[in-house]
Amino acid sequence: MKTAVEATEVTKFFGNIKALDGLNLKVNTGEIFGLIGPNGAGKTTCLRVISTLLLPTSGTVKVFGLDVSADAPEVRKIITYLPEEAGAYRNLSGWEYLQFMANFSARNKDEKYVAVQEAAEICGLGDRLRDKVKTYSKGMKRRLLIARALMPKPRLAILDEPTGGLDVLHSYHIRGIIKRYAKNRDTTVLLSSHNMLEVEHLCDKVALVNKGKVVAEGKPAELRDKYGSVNLEDVFAKVVGLA
Amino acid sequence: MLKGFGTVLTKELRELVRDPKILLGMIIVPLIMFPVLGSIMSFSIQSAAEQAKKASALVLDRDGGIYATAFMENLKANGVKIYNLTNVNPEEAVNRGLLSEYNTTQIIEIPNGFSENITRHLAGETNVTTYVKLYSVFSGTGIVEDVGSSLIDLLVERLNRQYAPDLMKTSKASIIKGQIYENVDPRTLSGLMISQAIAMPITIMILLTYSMQIAATSVAMEKEEKTLETLLTLPMDRFAILMGKLSGSILVAGIGALAYMVGFNYHMGSFASFSAVSGLDLASVGLAPSLLGYVLLGISLFVTLLSALALAVILSAFAEDVRSAQSMVGYIYPFLFVPSLALMYVDINMLPLAARIALYAIPYTHPIIASKAVTMGDNLTAALGIVYVAIFTLVIMYVASRLFATEKILTMKLKFKGFRKREKSAVAE
Repeated sequence: MKTAVEATEVTKFFGNIKALDGLNLKVNTGEIFGLIGPNGAGKTTCLRVISTLLLPTSGTVKVFGLDVSADAPEVRKIITYLPEEAGAYRNLSGWEYLQFMANFSARNKDEKYVAVQEAAEICGLGDRLRDKVKTYSKGMKRRLLIARALMPKPRLAILDEPTGGLDVLHSYHIRGIIKRYAKNRDTTVLLSSHNMLEVEHLCDKVALVNKGKVVAEGKPAELRDKYGSVNLEDVFAKVVGLA
Repeated sequence: MLKGFGTVLTKELRELVRDPKILLGMIIVPLIMFPVLGSIMSFSIQSAAEQAKKASALVLDRDGGIYATAFMENLKANGVKIYNLTNVNPEEAVNRGLLSEYNTTQIIEIPNGFSENITRHLAGETNVTTYVKLYSVFSGTGIVEDVGSSLIDLLVERLNRQYAPDLMKTSKASIIKGQIYENVDPRTLSGLMISQAIAMPITIMILLTYSMQIAATSVAMEKEEKTLETLLTLPMDRFAILMGKLSGSILVAGIGALAYMVGFNYHMGSFASFSAVSGLDLASVGLAPSLLGYVLLGISLFVTLLSALALAVILSAFAEDVRSAQSMVGYIYPFLFVPSLALMYVDINMLPLAARIALYAIPYTHPIIASKAVTMGDNLTAALGIVYVAIFTLVIMYVASRLFATEKILTMKLKFKGFRKREKSAVAE
């Protein structure tokens, strides 16, 4: 299986704070891969490095063979990134927002039209797409943004806490979108969450991150078996010595 | 007593006092700004007084009598250095450049028959009067014109008290751009110019503060809503993001400059009609910008707006949210308010060299200087100001483009503790 993301001994400092501490990660093509860990574990920093927003202090990160430091413009052509708690332009309607974002990936008007129609279908917001984003609930906004992230059919979609702060219904809807559309579109998904139970049901493979390092990696079932645990939360507790 | 009022008030005060942005913007800045303004004003008044002590004038004695000599002695006794010229009329003195040759800005003409008229008046012919005529170069400096005009009035009043009331009168003319305008009191002109000069800095202050807030908010909003992070990961040139933001602001600035010019033109027009009522038409004495002057003023305002917007974009890049960005931009305001308020009443040339250099270094000074300069027909000053502000703007834009090209746009944060710049731990999660 081809490698989508490969991070080797990645460190990242912010002043004196070590956010990533020799992180190693390998995501295969077509996988839904989850980074899980508590707040402050380094998940967001890791995703920001992979999405070319931050430069690693040391180590290398490759996305489909492209170096995120040296080939950043090329990497940006094949990825999409959804920041945690991101918003959309408040005074644009949902349609206008999708059209605006489609301009960056579509090569012509027809492609743009098709992309926006598909994104509208993915988010399932119907007529509400005609309303301004500022009138959307948090869940509706998140659905719009997930649809935006999947719209250009990226080779890698990086989703930071895609269901963070959402209610059960919207979380369920978003997990459904990720599962359905990522697989159909041949998109590799790298997502983060601190909700370990949710990730267990959504991801093909997970990496447990703590203090800037990957402390355990594998399929959820394999990890559960390996640590004799009933769920990933329990696995994490055992790995970091809490249980 | 409202229940809970005291508790809420205490909490509010504690929060407000502990916010360094409020402490700096609301307390420290005014504490520094107003003394600076005060010292600028007092210095200019002092220097005007000193200039009055060193006052000089060309005296065209067309009379040659004893009272003409007595008048000149009085001028000397009041500290006026005089250069007595005979056989020269005021037009000749202006055309031959005698004013600059003698380094003075005033001509006092003692007309033929001055002494004879005084003698007749004193002999009982009280209906016979005489006059002296002051020709003053109008430079738009305000205080200087006031001093010259007031001095001659004072002297004539004193001599009237000495000889006889209503014996002597003054007649005044202004020399504007090398041309003599009869019966135009330079003091009235400078009064009108000051009234106009107040409107320009106020409009510039409003326009700049408003558009800077718009630009800063636009970047900060992107950061706050995290749409900037999304933009930075799109397959597009990062410089295009900056240019897109600035172009939007440029458009706003352009419309702002245009609206300003329309308003300014109307403002000038309203003064012209007011002047017509008072018998003084500023445009007819050449005190209105030429078409080129208007164009230069528009360009000056535009580049200044652009530089202010670019600076606002850079500052807001250090902010995490809209509120912080607006506070950051607030730190530029003293640089906007000090020149605007100071130059409302004081001519920049009246200030000491260090203060002049400091004011010229502030880009926001230049449209104010330009508005006065183009009115006086000095287009070169306006053009040089444009060049300076354009260079300043290019430097600022370069810095902004470097900022957008790196991760600093996301990680830099201005720490107020000790005013150290630190990289923020962007690991929010």
